[in-house]
Amino acid sequence: MIKFDSVSKRYADGQEALSDISFEVSRGEFAFITGHSGAGKSTLLKLILAMETPSSGQLIANGVNLNRISAKQIARHRRQIGTVFQDHQLLHDRSVYDNVALPLEICGYQPNDAARRVRAALDKVGLLKKEKSFPEALSGGEQQRVGIARAVVNRPSIILADEPTGNLDPALSAEVMKVFQQFQSVGVCLLVASHDAALIERLNCRTLVLDGGKLLADQKPRTLA
Amino acid sequence: MSATKRRTENPAQSRPRRNTRAGQTESFVDLIKLHRRIASGSASRLLQTPASSLVTLFVVAVALLLPALLFGLNSNLTSLLAGFQDSAQVTLYLQEGVSEADGQEVSDGLLTRRDIEDTHYISSSQALDEFSAASGLEGLLIEMTANPLPGAIVLTPADVSPLAVDELARQLQELPHVDVVQVDSLWLQRLAAISNLVSAIGSVLAVIVILGLFFVVGNTIKLAIESRKAEILVIKLVGGSDMYAARPFLYTGLLYGLGGGILASLMQAIVLTTFNSNLEVLMQLYESDFQLRSFGIMSALLIVVAGAAIGWAAALMASLRHIRAINP
Repeated sequence: MIKFDSVSKRYADGQEALSDISFEVSRGEFAFITGHSGAGKSTLLKLILAMETPSSGQLIANGVNLNRISAKQIARHRRQIGTVFQDHQLLHDRSVYDNVALPLEICGYQPNDAARRVRAALDKVGLLKKEKSFPEALSGGEQQRVGIARAVVNRPSIILADEPTGNLDPALSAEVMKVFQQFQSVGVCLLVASHDAALIERLNCRTLVLDGGKLLADQKPRTLA
Repeated sequence: MSATKRRTENPAQSRPRRNTRAGQTESFVDLIKLHRRIASGSASRLLQTPASSLVTLFVVAVALLLPALLFGLNSNLTSLLAGFQDSAQVTLYLQEGVSEADGQEVSDGLLTRRDIEDTHYISSSQALDEFSAASGLEGLLIEMTANPLPGAIVLTPADVSPLAVDELARQLQELPHVDVVQVDSLWLQRLAAISNLVSAIGSVLAVIVILGLFFVVGNTIKLAIESRKAEILVIKLVGGSDMYAARPFLYTGLLYGLGGGILASLMQAIVLTTFNSNLEVLMQLYESDFQLRSFGIMSALLIVVAGAAIGWAAALMASLRHIRAINP
Protein backbone atom coordinates (compact mmCIF):
# COMPACT_ATOMS: atom_id res chain seq x y z
CA MET A 1 0.00 0.00 0.00
CA ILE A 2 2.84 2.34 0.90
CA LYS A 3 6.27 1.54 -0.49
CA PHE A 4 9.42 3.56 0.12
CA ASP A 5 12.33 2.47 -2.02
CA SER A 6 15.62 4.22 -1.12
CA VAL A 7 13.76 7.48 -0.70
CA SER A 8 15.72 10.59 0.27
CA LYS A 9 14.46 14.09 0.81
CA ARG A 10 16.76 17.06 0.73
CA TYR A 11 15.33 20.54 1.17
CA ALA A 12 16.49 23.48 -0.87
CA ASP A 13 18.75 24.62 1.97
CA GLY A 14 20.69 21.37 1.66
CA GLN A 15 19.31 19.86 4.84
CA GLU A 16 18.68 16.16 4.41
CA ALA A 17 15.41 15.34 6.17
CA LEU A 18 15.28 11.73 5.07
CA SER A 19 18.03 9.58 3.64
CA ASP A 20 17.75 6.28 1.90
CA ILE A 21 14.53 5.12 3.51
CA SER A 22 13.12 1.77 2.40
CA PHE A 23 10.10 0.04 3.89
CA GLU A 24 6.70 -1.18 2.92
CA VAL A 25 3.42 -1.07 4.79
CA SER A 26 0.68 -3.25 3.43
CA ARG A 27 -3.08 -3.22 3.54
CA GLY A 28 -4.53 -3.82 6.98
CA GLU A 29 -1.25 -3.03 8.65
CA PHE A 30 -0.86 -0.62 11.57
CA ALA A 31 2.59 0.87 11.93
CA PHE A 32 4.01 3.52 14.23
CA ILE A 33 6.76 5.87 13.20
CA THR A 34 8.72 7.03 16.14
CA GLY A 35 11.81 9.06 16.79
CA HIS A 36 12.92 12.35 18.28
CA SER A 37 11.49 15.52 16.91
CA GLY A 38 13.37 16.39 13.78
CA ALA A 39 13.98 12.75 13.02
CA GLY A 40 11.95 13.06 9.83
CA LYS A 41 8.55 11.73 10.89
CA SER A 42 6.58 14.67 9.56
CA THR A 43 8.58 14.79 6.33
CA LEU A 44 7.82 11.14 5.77
CA LEU A 45 4.09 11.76 6.15
CA LYS A 46 4.31 14.82 3.90
CA LEU A 47 5.89 12.72 1.18
CA ILE A 48 3.02 10.24 1.30
CA LEU A 49 0.52 13.12 1.13
CA ALA A 50 2.37 14.52 -1.89
CA MET A 51 3.01 17.76 0.00
CA GLU A 52 6.65 17.17 -0.84
CA THR A 53 8.26 15.15 -3.59
CA PRO A 54 11.17 12.77 -2.96
CA SER A 55 14.61 14.05 -3.98
CA SER A 56 15.61 10.54 -4.95
CA GLY A 57 14.31 7.02 -4.68
CA GLN A 58 10.86 5.80 -5.49
CA LEU A 59 7.69 6.27 -3.47
CA ILE A 60 4.46 4.51 -4.29
CA ALA A 61 1.33 4.95 -2.19
CA ASN A 62 -2.06 3.49 -2.95
CA GLY A 63 -0.80 2.47 -6.38
CA VAL A 64 0.21 6.01 -7.26
CA ASN A 65 3.79 6.85 -8.12
CA LEU A 66 4.39 9.98 -6.09
CA ASN A 67 7.60 10.87 -7.88
CA ARG A 68 5.60 11.88 -10.91
CA ILE A 69 2.21 13.20 -9.95
CA SER A 70 0.19 16.01 -11.48
CA ALA A 71 -1.77 18.59 -9.54
CA LYS A 72 -5.04 16.92 -10.51
CA GLN A 73 -3.76 13.53 -9.41
CA ILE A 74 -2.62 14.99 -6.10
CA ALA A 75 -6.17 16.03 -5.21
CA ARG A 76 -7.51 12.60 -6.17
CA HIS A 77 -4.68 10.90 -4.27
CA ARG A 78 -5.38 12.87 -1.10
CA ARG A 79 -9.05 11.92 -1.19
CA GLN A 80 -7.98 8.31 -0.61
CA ILE A 81 -5.97 9.27 2.45
CA GLY A 82 -7.35 10.33 5.80
CA THR A 83 -4.88 12.53 7.58
CA VAL A 84 -4.76 13.63 11.19
CA PHE A 85 -2.57 16.72 11.41
CA GLN A 86 -0.55 17.65 14.40
CA ASP A 87 -1.93 21.18 14.24
CA HIS A 88 -5.45 19.88 13.49
CA GLN A 89 -5.93 22.01 10.33
CA LEU A 90 -9.58 22.71 11.06
CA LEU A 91 -11.65 25.45 9.45
CA HIS A 92 -12.44 27.89 12.21
CA ASP A 93 -15.41 29.51 10.54
CA ARG A 94 -17.22 26.21 10.13
CA SER A 95 -18.94 24.08 12.69
CA VAL A 96 -17.58 20.74 13.84
CA TYR A 97 -20.16 19.08 11.63
CA ASP A 98 -19.11 21.05 8.54
CA ASN A 99 -15.44 20.39 9.24
CA VAL A 100 -15.99 16.67 9.34
CA ALA A 101 -18.28 16.82 6.29
CA LEU A 102 -15.65 18.60 4.18
CA PRO A 103 -14.05 15.49 2.62
CA LEU A 104 -17.52 14.16 1.78
CA GLU A 105 -18.54 17.46 0.24
CA ILE A 106 -15.40 17.43 -1.88
CA CYS A 107 -16.25 13.93 -3.09
CA GLY A 108 -19.81 15.02 -3.85
CA TYR A 109 -21.78 12.93 -1.39
CA GLN A 110 -25.50 13.44 -1.07
CA PRO A 111 -26.38 15.51 2.00
CA ASN A 112 -28.39 12.72 3.63
CA ASP A 113 -25.70 10.15 3.14
CA ALA A 114 -23.04 12.61 4.25
CA ALA A 115 -24.99 13.40 7.44
CA ARG A 116 -25.12 9.73 8.39
CA ARG A 117 -21.40 9.31 7.86
CA VAL A 118 -20.48 12.50 9.67
CA ARG A 119 -22.53 11.51 12.72
CA ALA A 120 -21.06 8.02 12.71
CA ALA A 121 -17.54 9.47 12.61
CA LEU A 122 -18.31 12.00 15.37
CA ASP A 123 -19.84 9.24 17.45
CA LYS A 124 -16.65 7.20 17.13
CA VAL A 125 -14.60 10.02 18.65
CA GLY A 126 -17.25 10.89 21.23
CA LEU A 127 -18.12 14.32 19.88
CA LEU A 128 -21.65 13.73 18.64
CA LYS A 129 -23.01 16.34 21.03
CA LYS A 130 -20.56 19.00 19.80
CA GLU A 131 -21.47 18.91 16.12
CA LYS A 132 -22.85 22.46 16.18
CA SER A 133 -19.88 23.93 18.07
CA PHE A 134 -17.09 25.80 16.38
CA PRO A 135 -13.49 24.57 16.71
CA GLU A 136 -12.44 27.59 18.75
CA ALA A 137 -14.91 26.64 21.48
CA LEU A 138 -13.32 23.22 21.81
CA SER A 139 -10.35 22.10 23.87
CA GLY A 140 -7.15 21.00 22.16
CA GLY A 141 -8.06 17.38 22.68
CA GLU A 142 -11.52 17.88 21.24
CA GLN A 143 -10.10 19.64 18.18
CA GLN A 144 -7.73 16.74 17.77
CA ARG A 145 -10.68 14.36 17.77
CA VAL A 146 -12.56 16.46 15.22
CA GLY A 147 -9.48 16.08 13.01
CA ILE A 148 -9.58 12.32 13.57
CA ALA A 149 -13.28 12.17 12.69
CA ARG A 150 -12.56 14.11 9.51
CA ALA A 151 -9.73 11.73 8.64
CA VAL A 152 -11.89 8.64 8.89
CA VAL A 153 -15.24 9.96 7.62
CA ASN A 154 -14.50 9.22 3.98
CA ARG A 155 -13.39 5.63 4.77
CA PRO A 156 -9.95 6.16 3.30
CA SER A 157 -7.69 3.32 2.27
CA ILE A 158 -4.75 4.91 4.08
CA ILE A 159 -4.84 6.80 7.37
CA LEU A 160 -1.89 8.97 8.30
CA ALA A 161 -1.68 10.54 11.71
CA ASP A 162 0.90 12.95 13.07
CA GLU A 163 0.93 12.81 16.87
CA PRO A 164 -2.82 12.11 17.00
CA THR A 165 -2.78 11.58 20.75
CA GLY A 166 -0.52 14.49 21.60
CA ASN A 167 -3.31 16.44 23.28
CA LEU A 168 -5.29 13.53 24.65
CA ASP A 169 -5.33 11.96 28.06
CA PRO A 170 -4.54 8.22 28.27
CA ALA A 171 -8.19 7.17 28.31
CA LEU A 172 -9.02 9.17 25.18
CA SER A 173 -5.81 8.03 23.51
CA ALA A 174 -6.89 4.48 24.03
CA GLU A 175 -10.31 5.30 22.55
CA VAL A 176 -8.74 6.86 19.48
CA MET A 177 -6.44 3.89 19.02
CA LYS A 178 -9.45 1.60 19.24
CA VAL A 179 -11.02 3.58 16.39
CA PHE A 180 -7.83 3.21 14.38
CA GLN A 181 -7.74 -0.50 15.07
CA GLN A 182 -11.31 -0.85 13.83
CA PHE A 183 -10.17 0.63 10.53
CA GLN A 184 -7.13 -1.63 10.52
CA SER A 185 -9.40 -4.63 10.91
CA VAL A 186 -11.30 -3.67 7.74
CA GLY A 187 -8.13 -3.45 5.69
CA VAL A 188 -7.10 0.18 6.06
CA CYS A 189 -3.38 0.85 6.18
CA LEU A 190 -2.41 3.09 9.10
CA LEU A 191 0.80 4.99 9.66
CA VAL A 192 0.94 6.87 12.93
CA ALA A 193 3.78 9.18 13.92
CA SER A 194 4.08 9.29 17.68
CA HIS A 195 6.61 9.48 20.45
CA ASP A 196 4.23 8.18 23.08
CA ALA A 197 6.44 5.22 24.05
CA ALA A 198 3.95 3.79 26.51
CA LEU A 199 1.17 3.77 23.97
CA ILE A 200 3.37 2.15 21.32
CA GLU A 201 4.53 -0.42 23.79
CA ARG A 202 1.01 -1.24 24.85
CA LEU A 203 -0.43 -1.53 21.36
CA ASN A 204 2.34 -3.84 20.22
CA CYS A 205 2.37 -2.78 16.58
CA ARG A 206 5.08 -2.67 14.00
CA THR A 207 7.30 0.32 14.75
CA LEU A 208 9.58 2.21 12.41
CA VAL A 209 12.26 4.08 14.33
CA LEU A 210 13.66 7.15 12.63
CA ASP A 211 16.75 9.01 13.74
CA GLY A 212 18.32 11.91 11.93
CA GLY A 213 16.46 11.04 8.76
CA LYS A 214 17.60 7.44 8.72
CA LEU A 215 15.51 4.36 9.35
CA LEU A 216 17.16 3.01 12.48
CA ALA A 217 14.96 0.01 13.10
CA ASP A 218 11.86 -1.71 11.77
CA GLN A 219 10.49 -3.52 14.80
CA LYS A 220 7.91 -6.17 14.09
CA PRO A 221 5.24 -6.74 16.73
CA ARG A 222 6.23 -9.16 19.46
CA THR A 223 4.61 -12.52 19.03
CA LEU A 224 2.39 -13.05 21.99
CA ALA A 225 3.48 -16.02 23.99
CA MET B 1 -12.11 6.49 -8.17
CA SER B 2 -15.35 4.60 -8.18
CA ALA B 3 -16.69 2.95 -5.11
CA THR B 4 -16.57 -0.45 -6.73
CA LYS B 5 -12.92 -0.07 -7.50
CA ARG B 6 -12.20 1.11 -4.02
CA ARG B 7 -14.01 -1.88 -2.67
CA THR B 8 -11.53 -4.22 -4.29
CA GLU B 9 -8.75 -2.42 -2.50
CA ASN B 10 -10.62 -2.16 0.72
CA PRO B 11 -12.31 -5.50 0.94
CA ALA B 12 -13.91 -5.26 4.32
CA GLN B 13 -15.20 -1.77 4.89
CA SER B 14 -16.90 -1.29 8.21
CA ARG B 15 -20.27 -0.92 6.55
CA PRO B 16 -21.52 -2.46 3.34
CA ARG B 17 -21.33 -0.31 0.27
CA ARG B 18 -23.89 -0.17 -2.41
CA ASN B 19 -22.88 -1.17 -5.86
CA THR B 20 -23.56 2.22 -7.34
CA ARG B 21 -21.35 5.17 -6.67
CA ALA B 22 -22.57 5.04 -3.13
CA GLY B 23 -23.55 8.38 -1.72
CA GLN B 24 -22.08 10.33 -4.60
CA THR B 25 -24.11 13.16 -6.01
CA GLU B 26 -26.36 11.68 -8.59
CA SER B 27 -29.26 13.97 -9.17
CA PHE B 28 -29.39 17.35 -10.75
CA VAL B 29 -31.46 18.59 -7.81
CA ASP B 30 -28.63 17.80 -5.41
CA LEU B 31 -26.20 19.63 -7.61
CA ILE B 32 -28.49 22.66 -7.67
CA LYS B 33 -28.79 22.48 -3.90
CA LEU B 34 -25.03 22.31 -3.50
CA HIS B 35 -24.47 25.30 -5.76
CA ARG B 36 -27.21 27.25 -4.05
CA ARG B 37 -25.46 26.63 -0.76
CA ILE B 38 -22.10 27.79 -2.12
CA ALA B 39 -23.72 30.84 -3.70
CA SER B 40 -25.49 31.84 -0.51
CA GLY B 41 -22.22 31.33 1.36
CA SER B 42 -20.48 33.71 -1.03
CA ALA B 43 -23.33 36.19 -0.74
CA SER B 44 -23.26 36.18 3.04
CA ARG B 45 -19.49 36.74 2.93
CA LEU B 46 -20.08 39.81 0.77
CA LEU B 47 -22.64 41.03 3.29
CA GLN B 48 -20.15 40.58 6.10
CA THR B 49 -18.12 43.45 4.66
CA PRO B 50 -20.91 45.64 3.29
CA ALA B 51 -18.85 48.80 2.81
CA SER B 52 -16.07 47.34 0.70
CA SER B 53 -18.52 45.12 -1.21
CA LEU B 54 -20.60 48.16 -2.03
CA VAL B 55 -17.58 50.09 -3.26
CA THR B 56 -16.61 47.24 -5.58
CA LEU B 57 -20.19 46.92 -6.74
CA PHE B 58 -20.32 50.63 -7.48
CA VAL B 59 -17.05 50.55 -9.42
CA VAL B 60 -18.34 47.65 -11.51
CA ALA B 61 -21.62 49.49 -12.10
CA VAL B 62 -20.00 52.75 -13.21
CA ALA B 63 -17.63 50.85 -15.48
CA LEU B 64 -20.57 49.08 -17.11
CA LEU B 65 -22.63 52.27 -17.29
CA LEU B 66 -20.17 54.24 -19.46
CA PRO B 67 -20.17 52.03 -22.56
CA ALA B 68 -23.85 51.27 -22.03
CA LEU B 69 -24.69 54.97 -22.20
CA LEU B 70 -22.53 55.47 -25.29
CA PHE B 71 -24.14 52.56 -27.08
CA GLY B 72 -27.51 53.87 -26.02
CA LEU B 73 -26.68 57.33 -27.33
CA ASN B 74 -25.58 55.81 -30.59
CA SER B 75 -28.68 53.70 -31.03
CA ASN B 76 -30.79 56.82 -30.47
CA LEU B 77 -28.70 58.77 -32.94
CA THR B 78 -29.14 56.02 -35.51
CA SER B 79 -32.89 55.97 -35.08
CA LEU B 80 -32.97 59.75 -35.27
CA LEU B 81 -30.98 59.60 -38.52
CA ALA B 82 -33.28 56.96 -39.94
CA GLY B 83 -36.21 59.25 -39.29
CA PHE B 84 -34.57 62.12 -41.15
CA GLN B 85 -33.30 60.00 -43.98
CA ASP B 86 -36.82 59.01 -44.89
CA SER B 87 -37.35 62.62 -45.83
CA ALA B 88 -34.07 62.98 -47.71
CA GLN B 89 -34.65 65.07 -50.81
CA VAL B 90 -32.73 66.10 -53.87
CA THR B 91 -33.56 69.36 -55.61
CA LEU B 92 -32.76 69.93 -59.29
CA TYR B 93 -32.68 73.58 -60.32
CA LEU B 94 -33.34 73.88 -64.04
CA GLN B 95 -31.48 76.20 -66.37
CA GLU B 96 -32.99 79.60 -67.14
CA GLY B 97 -35.33 79.64 -70.09
CA VAL B 98 -36.45 76.05 -69.81
CA SER B 99 -40.15 76.08 -70.65
CA GLU B 100 -42.77 74.76 -68.29
CA ALA B 101 -43.56 71.91 -70.71
CA ASP B 102 -39.87 70.91 -70.96
CA GLY B 103 -39.56 71.03 -67.17
CA GLN B 104 -42.61 68.84 -66.69
CA GLU B 105 -41.23 66.44 -69.28
CA VAL B 106 -37.88 66.13 -67.49
CA SER B 107 -39.74 65.58 -64.22
CA ASP B 108 -41.97 62.87 -65.68
CA GLY B 109 -38.97 61.28 -67.40
CA LEU B 110 -37.22 60.95 -64.03
CA LEU B 111 -40.18 59.02 -62.64
CA THR B 112 -39.27 56.06 -64.84
CA ARG B 113 -35.94 55.66 -63.05
CA ARG B 114 -35.84 52.90 -60.45
CA ASP B 115 -33.64 54.88 -58.09
CA ILE B 116 -36.20 57.66 -57.78
CA GLU B 117 -39.24 57.24 -55.63
CA ASP B 118 -41.18 60.39 -56.50
CA THR B 119 -40.79 63.72 -58.28
CA HIS B 120 -42.54 67.03 -58.00
CA TYR B 121 -42.10 69.75 -60.61
CA ILE B 122 -42.24 73.35 -59.51
CA SER B 123 -42.33 75.82 -62.38
CA SER B 124 -40.62 79.18 -62.00
CA SER B 125 -43.97 81.00 -61.68
CA GLN B 126 -45.17 78.54 -59.05
CA ALA B 127 -41.92 79.07 -57.21
CA LEU B 128 -42.44 82.82 -57.31
CA ASP B 129 -45.98 82.47 -55.98
CA GLU B 130 -44.86 80.23 -53.16
CA PHE B 131 -41.96 82.50 -52.35
CA SER B 132 -44.04 85.64 -52.26
CA ALA B 133 -46.65 83.93 -50.12
CA ALA B 134 -44.08 82.62 -47.74
CA SER B 135 -41.92 85.72 -47.53
CA GLY B 136 -44.66 88.34 -47.47
CA LEU B 137 -42.87 90.37 -50.11
CA GLU B 138 -45.75 90.35 -52.64
CA GLY B 139 -45.57 94.11 -53.20
CA LEU B 140 -41.90 94.09 -54.02
CA LEU B 141 -42.17 91.14 -56.36
CA ILE B 142 -45.02 92.68 -58.36
CA GLU B 143 -42.70 95.46 -59.33
CA MET B 144 -40.14 93.05 -60.77
CA THR B 145 -40.33 92.75 -64.52
CA ALA B 146 -38.78 89.29 -64.82
CA ASN B 147 -39.10 86.22 -62.63
CA PRO B 148 -35.63 85.57 -61.14
CA LEU B 149 -36.50 82.09 -59.84
CA PRO B 150 -35.66 79.02 -61.89
CA GLY B 151 -37.96 76.01 -62.27
CA ALA B 152 -37.13 73.11 -59.98
CA ILE B 153 -37.78 69.44 -59.55
CA VAL B 154 -37.89 68.08 -56.01
CA LEU B 155 -37.36 64.36 -55.93
CA THR B 156 -37.27 61.66 -53.30
CA PRO B 157 -34.59 59.05 -53.88
CA ALA B 158 -35.54 55.39 -53.51
CA ASP B 159 -32.31 54.61 -51.66
CA VAL B 160 -31.58 57.23 -49.04
CA SER B 161 -28.15 56.04 -47.99
CA PRO B 162 -25.57 58.82 -48.43
CA LEU B 163 -23.59 56.88 -51.04
CA ALA B 164 -26.62 56.16 -53.22
CA VAL B 165 -27.84 59.73 -52.99
CA ASP B 166 -24.41 61.05 -54.01
CA GLU B 167 -24.31 58.72 -56.99
CA LEU B 168 -27.83 59.75 -58.01
CA ALA B 169 -26.90 63.43 -57.74
CA ARG B 170 -23.86 62.88 -59.95
CA GLN B 171 -25.97 61.24 -62.64
CA LEU B 172 -28.69 63.89 -62.48
CA GLN B 173 -26.09 66.58 -63.01
CA GLU B 174 -25.50 65.18 -66.52
CA LEU B 175 -29.13 65.56 -67.58
CA PRO B 176 -30.10 68.24 -70.13
CA HIS B 177 -31.75 71.40 -68.77
CA VAL B 178 -30.37 70.73 -65.29
CA ASP B 179 -28.37 73.60 -63.82
CA VAL B 180 -27.65 72.73 -60.20
CA VAL B 181 -28.26 69.60 -58.15
CA GLN B 182 -28.63 70.24 -54.48
CA VAL B 183 -28.53 67.38 -52.02
CA ASP B 184 -29.94 68.12 -48.59
CA SER B 185 -27.97 65.36 -47.03
CA LEU B 186 -24.55 66.76 -46.22
CA TRP B 187 -25.51 67.44 -42.63
CA LEU B 188 -27.04 63.97 -42.52
CA GLN B 189 -23.74 62.53 -43.60
CA ARG B 190 -22.00 64.47 -40.88
CA LEU B 191 -24.45 63.19 -38.32
CA ALA B 192 -23.96 59.64 -39.60
CA ALA B 193 -20.20 60.09 -39.28
CA ILE B 194 -20.63 61.33 -35.72
CA SER B 195 -22.83 58.35 -35.01
CA ASN B 196 -20.13 56.03 -36.34
CA LEU B 197 -17.56 57.81 -34.22
CA VAL B 198 -19.70 57.44 -31.10
CA SER B 199 -20.12 53.77 -31.88
CA ALA B 200 -16.35 53.35 -32.35
CA ILE B 201 -15.63 55.16 -29.09
CA GLY B 202 -18.21 52.93 -27.44
CA SER B 203 -16.48 49.82 -28.72
CA VAL B 204 -13.02 50.94 -27.63
CA LEU B 205 -14.40 52.00 -24.27
CA ALA B 206 -16.15 48.64 -23.90
CA VAL B 207 -12.86 46.84 -24.44
CA ILE B 208 -11.08 49.08 -21.93
CA VAL B 209 -13.90 48.65 -19.45
CA ILE B 210 -13.87 44.86 -19.78
CA LEU B 211 -10.12 44.87 -19.16
CA GLY B 212 -10.61 47.22 -16.22
CA LEU B 213 -13.35 45.04 -14.78
CA PHE B 214 -11.06 42.04 -15.06
CA PHE B 215 -8.50 43.87 -12.96
CA VAL B 216 -11.01 45.19 -10.43
CA VAL B 217 -12.84 41.91 -9.92
CA GLY B 218 -9.62 39.90 -10.23
CA ASN B 219 -7.93 41.97 -7.57
CA THR B 220 -10.92 41.77 -5.25
CA ILE B 221 -10.94 38.00 -5.67
CA LYS B 222 -7.20 37.89 -5.07
CA LEU B 223 -7.63 39.69 -1.75
CA ALA B 224 -10.51 37.38 -0.81
CA ILE B 225 -8.33 34.37 -1.57
CA GLU B 226 -5.47 35.80 0.47
CA SER B 227 -7.75 36.24 3.45
CA ARG B 228 -8.98 32.67 3.17
CA LYS B 229 -5.62 31.09 2.47
CA ALA B 230 -5.77 28.84 5.53
CA GLU B 231 -9.11 27.46 4.44
CA ILE B 232 -7.91 26.77 0.91
CA LEU B 233 -4.88 25.02 2.36
CA VAL B 234 -7.07 22.70 4.41
CA ILE B 235 -9.34 22.02 1.44
CA LYS B 236 -6.32 21.07 -0.63
CA LEU B 237 -4.95 18.88 2.16
CA VAL B 238 -8.11 16.81 2.30
CA GLY B 239 -8.19 16.37 -1.46
CA GLY B 240 -10.17 19.32 -2.79
CA SER B 241 -9.23 20.24 -6.35
CA ASP B 242 -8.34 23.79 -7.36
CA MET B 243 -11.72 24.04 -9.04
CA TYR B 244 -13.48 22.97 -5.85
CA ALA B 245 -11.60 25.59 -3.84
CA ALA B 246 -12.37 28.19 -6.53
CA ARG B 247 -16.14 27.68 -6.54
CA PRO B 248 -17.07 30.15 -3.79
CA PHE B 249 -14.88 32.78 -5.44
CA LEU B 250 -16.54 32.21 -8.79
CA TYR B 251 -19.84 32.98 -7.14
CA THR B 252 -18.32 36.06 -5.54
CA GLY B 253 -17.25 37.29 -9.00
CA LEU B 254 -20.62 36.39 -10.47
CA LEU B 255 -22.42 38.29 -7.70
CA TYR B 256 -20.23 41.36 -8.17
CA GLY B 257 -20.94 41.31 -11.91
CA LEU B 258 -24.64 40.65 -11.44
CA GLY B 259 -25.06 43.30 -8.74
CA GLY B 260 -22.95 45.79 -10.68
CA GLY B 261 -25.03 45.12 -13.80
CA ILE B 262 -28.31 45.66 -11.98
CA LEU B 263 -26.98 48.86 -10.42
CA ALA B 264 -25.73 50.03 -13.84
CA SER B 265 -29.10 49.49 -15.51
CA LEU B 266 -30.80 51.37 -12.69
CA MET B 267 -28.38 54.26 -13.10
CA GLN B 268 -28.92 54.16 -16.85
CA ALA B 269 -32.66 54.43 -16.36
CA ILE B 270 -32.17 57.42 -14.06
CA VAL B 271 -29.83 59.16 -16.52
CA LEU B 272 -32.23 58.61 -19.40
CA THR B 273 -35.28 59.84 -17.55
CA THR B 274 -33.39 62.99 -16.65
CA PHE B 275 -32.23 63.51 -20.24
CA ASN B 276 -35.58 62.72 -21.76
CA SER B 277 -37.48 65.50 -20.04
CA ASN B 278 -34.86 68.02 -21.18
CA LEU B 279 -34.77 66.57 -24.66
CA GLU B 280 -38.52 66.74 -25.01
CA VAL B 281 -38.41 70.51 -24.67
CA LEU B 282 -35.64 70.75 -27.25
CA MET B 283 -37.41 68.46 -29.68
CA GLN B 284 -40.66 70.38 -29.35
CA LEU B 285 -38.73 73.47 -30.41
CA TYR B 286 -37.64 71.55 -33.50
CA GLU B 287 -41.22 70.38 -34.01
CA SER B 288 -40.04 66.79 -33.74
CA ASP B 289 -41.80 64.10 -31.77
CA PHE B 290 -38.50 62.29 -31.33
CA GLN B 291 -38.11 60.65 -27.95
CA LEU B 292 -35.10 59.01 -26.41
CA ARG B 293 -35.64 55.33 -26.73
CA SER B 294 -35.69 54.22 -23.16
CA PHE B 295 -33.35 51.30 -23.45
CA GLY B 296 -35.94 48.93 -22.17
CA ILE B 297 -35.85 45.52 -20.59
CA MET B 298 -33.64 43.98 -23.26
CA SER B 299 -30.79 46.42 -22.90
CA ALA B 300 -31.00 46.34 -19.11
CA LEU B 301 -30.88 42.57 -19.31
CA LEU B 302 -27.89 42.77 -21.64
CA ILE B 303 -25.98 44.93 -19.15
CA VAL B 304 -26.78 42.54 -16.31
CA VAL B 305 -25.82 39.45 -18.30
CA ALA B 306 -22.64 41.07 -19.60
CA GLY B 307 -21.72 42.16 -16.08
CA ALA B 308 -22.34 38.70 -14.65
CA ALA B 309 -20.35 37.02 -17.42
CA ILE B 310 -17.39 39.37 -17.02
CA GLY B 311 -17.46 39.03 -13.23
CA TRP B 312 -17.52 35.26 -13.43
CA ALA B 313 -14.79 35.04 -16.05
CA ALA B 314 -12.55 37.47 -14.16
CA ALA B 315 -13.07 35.48 -10.97
CA LEU B 316 -12.28 32.24 -12.78
CA MET B 317 -8.99 33.58 -14.11
CA ALA B 318 -7.95 35.16 -10.84
CA SER B 319 -8.96 32.32 -8.55
CA LEU B 320 -7.40 29.53 -10.59
CA ARG B 321 -4.13 31.44 -10.80
CA HIS B 322 -3.97 32.36 -7.12
CA ILE B 323 -5.32 29.09 -5.77
CA ARG B 324 -2.82 27.13 -7.82
CA ALA B 325 -0.09 29.08 -6.06
CA ILE B 326 -1.30 28.03 -2.61
CA ASN B 327 0.36 24.77 -1.69
CA PRO B 328 0.55 23.03 1.62
